[in-house]
Amino acid sequence: MNAVDTAIHVAAKSIRLADVTKAYGKVNVIPSLDIEFRSGEFTVILGPSGCGKSTLLQMIAGLERVTNGKILFGGKEVQDLEPKQRGCAMVFQNYALYPHMTVAENMSYSLKVAGMTKPERQARVKIVAGMLGLGDYLDRKPGQLSGGQRQRVAIGRAIIREPGVLLFDEPLSNLDAQLRHDTRIELADLHRRIGATTVFVTHDQVEAMTLADRILILNKGQVEQFDTPKAIYHRPASVFVAKFIGSPPMNILPAQGDGSVLRLSDGQVVGEYGLKGDFQLGIRPENVVVEQGMSGGLAAPVRFREDLGSHSIISVDIAGTPVRIATPFGGVVPDYTRLAVTFPMKALHLFDGQTGKAIPEGFGVASKDGK
Amino acid sequence: MVENARSINIVASLILLVGIIYILGPLYLTLTTASHSYEFMLQNGLVWSPGDEFFVNIRRIFTETSIPRQMINSLIVALGDAIATCVLSFLSAYAIVYFRTRWAGVVFALILATVILPLDMRFVTTYQVASNVFSPINALLDATGLNDLIAALFGAPFHMEWSILNTHAGLVIPLLAHGMGTFLFRQFFLTLPRDLFKAARMDGAGPIRFLVDILLPLSRSTFASLFVLTFLSGWTQYLWPLVASSTADMQTAVVGLARLVPDEGAVPDYPLIMAGAILVSIVPLSMIALLQRYLVQGLILSEK
Repeated sequence: MNAVDTAIHVAAKSIRLADVTKAYGKVNVIPSLDIEFRSGEFTVILGPSGCGKSTLLQMIAGLERVTNGKILFGGKEVQDLEPKQRGCAMVFQNYALYPHMTVAENMSYSLKVAGMTKPERQARVKIVAGMLGLGDYLDRKPGQLSGGQRQRVAIGRAIIREPGVLLFDEPLSNLDAQLRHDTRIELADLHRRIGATTVFVTHDQVEAMTLADRILILNKGQVEQFDTPKAIYHRPASVFVAKFIGSPPMNILPAQGDGSVLRLSDGQVVGEYGLKGDFQLGIRPENVVVEQGMSGGLAAPVRFREDLGSHSIISVDIAGTPVRIATPFGGVVPDYTRLAVTFPMKALHLFDGQTGKAIPEGFGVASKDGK
Repeated sequence: MVENARSINIVASLILLVGIIYILGPLYLTLTTASHSYEFMLQNGLVWSPGDEFFVNIRRIFTETSIPRQMINSLIVALGDAIATCVLSFLSAYAIVYFRTRWAGVVFALILATVILPLDMRFVTTYQVASNVFSPINALLDATGLNDLIAALFGAPFHMEWSILNTHAGLVIPLLAHGMGTFLFRQFFLTLPRDLFKAARMDGAGPIRFLVDILLPLSRSTFASLFVLTFLSGWTQYLWPLVASSTADMQTAVVGLARLVPDEGAVPDYPLIMAGAILVSIVPLSMIALLQRYLVQGLILSEK
């Protein structure tokens, strides 16, 4: 390297997990995964705590061994390689900065280990610090920085080696709400500029929806759905996904089809439907229509209301099941103790009564707009 | 409580004063006694007023006793104890905290058990082993019957002897079997961010590199406090050096001081003994004075 580069260049690599399993003793954390993260893509792994998402990330990083299966970076098998040989970098939840080193030393430590000379290291630190707005803090210790600044040092430490794969383990969960929002935007911007294949683990659906090219939803170590944020929101593959995404989440009600109409458990008719059997009916809070007046539609006694200023969330009971309704922005719903609501057919989601899997489109009811 | 602060302060100060007199009184008496001649003491007993023979007595320590030589022994024992304890504790705590070692919990419990089973309790067995380091192996071979086999094959049973009594190693090594340092380092490591080890691995640093580059600099004050603590305890050891050393030039200064008291008959040369005591306590005193900061820092066990 003769002339000092003025930017961070990465060669993004695709990540493929081929039949990867992970077990701790007899506990099967990840039964079997077969997925591919495309080169340069920003993937968010989303799931409740204990679903195996951090384990998955650490297997990609090389901090945990796979029990079975292969991991390929750009077609090359890496499952038996040490993290440094894989060419990936990671940002940790609690930053994990070296407390006794300055910001500059923290960021350049990996370069030092790799045997890079001091002038080269300093030049790189300067570039990265410039990208992250850390230029004035290079001589400080992590203890003298704010949470957001520490977070940026951790990111700088990860990108300074120009990794083809960039991994994030719930990096925003220690920040306050405002900072989380700002950092999210910075991260999206950074990804656009660097272009590394990024895998980001979180349990926060807002982070997932706003950052991801595609979201991988994990439940008990298995893929529930792996799709774009839009598709996941508008065409959830299962009740689990439907309840996990959206704030407030999708309402789910048990329903029966008798071949001509679809009824709720107390016998009220939702609408016409041609199939027989037990179903779970899903409807997003913002899609429930409140009828003017108290008659017509489904009976919905009001439990309580939360007024959020721009709109309200009304909790009602429909056929004994709690249902939340989000009123339209600016819309006013009278302060009644009973409402009458209807479920527009095109906004309904139908799931199998037993498995909870979405019933494929084409049955007439679940034809929705979306992607 | 707050409104009575003044009277409580006065009472507390009085109690402190009594305590200080209780502690400093004997020390002062040591100083004054060391400054009189043997003859003066024989006539007047121990007196509270200072005399002018202090440096004469100090000179006599250097010319008439083995205390200087024994102070070097003490220094070797205390330094050896402190350095070896620091290194061993650091490494064992590293293994326990950062590696998924099989039976790590059991190992740690055994290490802690040495805290409730100090050397004084294991005296006889420790002496047996020190008098022949191979005695456990010999006993094991005898008990399992393997020695009969060896005797049949090679004509003689396996039996080796190596005594470390009356050597510096023999004075130091039994003192090392103490888990407090390991416990101290373990507690310190647990206060560090959990992902530090993983972060270093991602940065390409292996376990040794992590130990040297990250853990060692962070542990500085823990090292310092453990060093001071074990140095002081090594310097003031009495019972084990008394038993394990048999010649005057192998004994430590504390043992040597006690040996200045004649076995029977004559009145001990208290001025000489007190002068020796002052000389011997200078080393630990200056140690505390110099490293007090680290002692306090180490007790807080964290570095901001």
